[in-house]
Amino acid sequence: MPRPWWEHALRLDRRLLFVAVALAVAIPVLFPLGLPVVPGKESRDFFAALEQLQPGDVILFSFDYEADSRAEMDPMTRVVWRYCLGRGVRIIALTNYAGGPGVAEPYIELATKQLGQVYGEDVVFLGYNPDYSGTILRLGESFRATFPADQYGRSTADFPLLQRANRYADTKLIVTIAASSLAEYWTIWAHGKYDAKVIAGATAIQAVHLYPYYQTGQVSGFLGGLKGAAELERLAELPGDATRGMDSQTTGHAVIVLFILLGNVAYFAQRRRKS
Amino acid sequence: MIPLQDATGFQATRWPELVAALALALLIVVWIVRTRRSSDVFVRRIPGLEAVEEAVGRATEMGRPVLFIPGMDSMDETGTLAAVNILGQVAARTARYETRLLVPCRDPIVTNVAQEVVRAAYTAEGRPDLYRADDVRYETYGQFAYAIAVQGIMLRERPATNFFFGRYYAESLIMAETGNLTGAIQIAGTDSDSQLPFFICACDYTLIGEELYAGSVYLSREPRLLGTLKAQDMAKAIVIVALLLGSLATATHLWTRP
Amino acid sequence: MKTTLPILFGFLVGLVMFVQYFFSHPSLQRTYNLVLDWKQIVFGMMLILGTIGLVRHHGVRIQRRERAWGYSAVTLSGLVAVILAGVGGGVQGGPYAWSFENVQSPMQSTIFALLAFYVASAAYRAFRARTVHATLLLCAGIIVMLGRVSIGEMLGFSVGDARYSLAGLSGWILDVPNLAAKRGILIGVGLGVSATALKILLGIERSYLGKGD
Repeated sequence: MPRPWWEHALRLDRRLLFVAVALAVAIPVLFPLGLPVVPGKESRDFFAALEQLQPGDVILFSFDYEADSRAEMDPMTRVVWRYCLGRGVRIIALTNYAGGPGVAEPYIELATKQLGQVYGEDVVFLGYNPDYSGTILRLGESFRATFPADQYGRSTADFPLLQRANRYADTKLIVTIAASSLAEYWTIWAHGKYDAKVIAGATAIQAVHLYPYYQTGQVSGFLGGLKGAAELERLAELPGDATRGMDSQTTGHAVIVLFILLGNVAYFAQRRRKS
Repeated sequence: MIPLQDATGFQATRWPELVAALALALLIVVWIVRTRRSSDVFVRRIPGLEAVEEAVGRATEMGRPVLFIPGMDSMDETGTLAAVNILGQVAARTARYETRLLVPCRDPIVTNVAQEVVRAAYTAEGRPDLYRADDVRYETYGQFAYAIAVQGIMLRERPATNFFFGRYYAESLIMAETGNLTGAIQIAGTDSDSQLPFFICACDYTLIGEELYAGSVYLSREPRLLGTLKAQDMAKAIVIVALLLGSLATATHLWTRP
Repeated sequence: MKTTLPILFGFLVGLVMFVQYFFSHPSLQRTYNLVLDWKQIVFGMMLILGTIGLVRHHGVRIQRRERAWGYSAVTLSGLVAVILAGVGGGVQGGPYAWSFENVQSPMQSTIFALLAFYVASAAYRAFRARTVHATLLLCAGIIVMLGRVSIGEMLGFSVGDARYSLAGLSGWILDVPNLAAKRGILIGVGLGVSATALKILLGIERSYLGKGD
């Protein structure tokens, strides 16, 4: 006797599900849909913090992600760097991840080779420090003491930018693009102890952690995942990978929801049959 | 505005934190003294922790190892401390039942501490010969490289029981789902609430938030740890009352935010 | 002495860090900075210890020709190759940067991308409306999943100037019930963290010494 349809559905080979999700994500890459992206309040506040920066202001930028989260995080970083450097804002960069220097290198090149920024005066890359908690706390006292040498081994005491700005109080903003709880830690330690203004870009999962801090004003704005990155691209009028990626994310989510609904319909059909 | 760090003397704006810290310290000391006199203190049933004994027993019966993951963070995280405490309790049970215990670690400091904890537990049970240094080892610091390493261990060694205690990030579902695929019984406990949905989907038991911190207290029933747990509960009760009063005062405009 | 000295040291350092948060003084500030500097040094040294442990573990596996020892050989070869690339060719450009862009980056991104498939299979298995709570979870999950993408903006209606969409409902779920639950857990976890820190300060918590409870 052939098995009822709901038994097949409840025992669905997960590989079918994997193929469906793969197709749902891949097809919009080949055939873009151009679906709308409407910025939310959190993204608008993130962008507002960038808009308030004046030429000559110094910000601290932390690459708190590695190669695995590049797809979600790089679009945020790209917009922040292009927007800020385009307005004459100076950037002191660092990373709390061992793989962070590899992610940061293209942006240092973007700044110095494509946008004509002078290393040491307009942009400095401090590099990686293994102890994130000590680093975030120590930076509040002195950037130069925390990083006596930059990523390339040069003494940080020699850089005009670090003579101008040597601690949080000398900067206008801290921007952390974080794939982990580091966005929370920057908020707790840099804002909580030193009253620094913090905005954060986070993966979609980690962004959920930031809502309590955002509601109380401890973090001034944040971006959540690829959607947040797409919203920032829209606000800054710098469309890129995130906007294009939203098509795939939309169809991917839709397919997963359809399968969940199918599973539930099958479940109720089974229950009715059994009763 | 003078940056906070340039002010000298007492930082007056931080008096609420000072009062709270001192009050909590006082509560802890008082309750430890009380539980030392009488350790008959009620701790509610936590199903995930009750299942630890049964889970280790299952692995023993099946002749397969127990896998313990102490989280992704270093020893300065409370979740990791709690996980290492629970590891000591689990190691005592695996030593007693002569079951192999695998503890792949992501952090070098946690590896050293885990090795000490497991060795001490085996020695206390009178079975130092069963301790295998190779089974408690450092894998890699890379987040997803570590997850794949654990996945490989699960697929090769086929542990009958998986414990996930500590702090986790995006890699948690890779490990938990693989463990589910291998048919292991899985008990998770994390204070990373963003990962809780994944553990709840893939594991048999999940400890939420401070249930993880209560873990070693629950398993050991040590008086001073019981006292700390009661002090935490009391502090939480005070916070709840303060929240209710504050909400009421704000809603009735008896108090407005300055 | 072996136990007392670390506990005493931990108490003194913890006390300094605690006091300096509430009181500012140049000598306290200097001590605070010194502690943070040493913390970074210790952490850096532990990474070296971890690497030595890794090399030793895989070296023994290769030496004894244990099961799947080939993977250990691959691990050590990768470690040596990247070190040589960085030392020989520098970190800017050259083979080190090439290996990051063309080997490490695609591999790490691929593993991260696997999550999408695991989420799909876990969600399909777990999201069943078995009970009232499960049904609420299911509905909230579907609303947020659709609300956080472009579909959420498209599914809605306007009343005058106001727009009511799935994206708005998703935002409300994240802003109100999710935030309330998150804050509750955060307060509990915060108390746990504070209590543990105080326990370490007072020498009650000793698991960091490797002796368990």
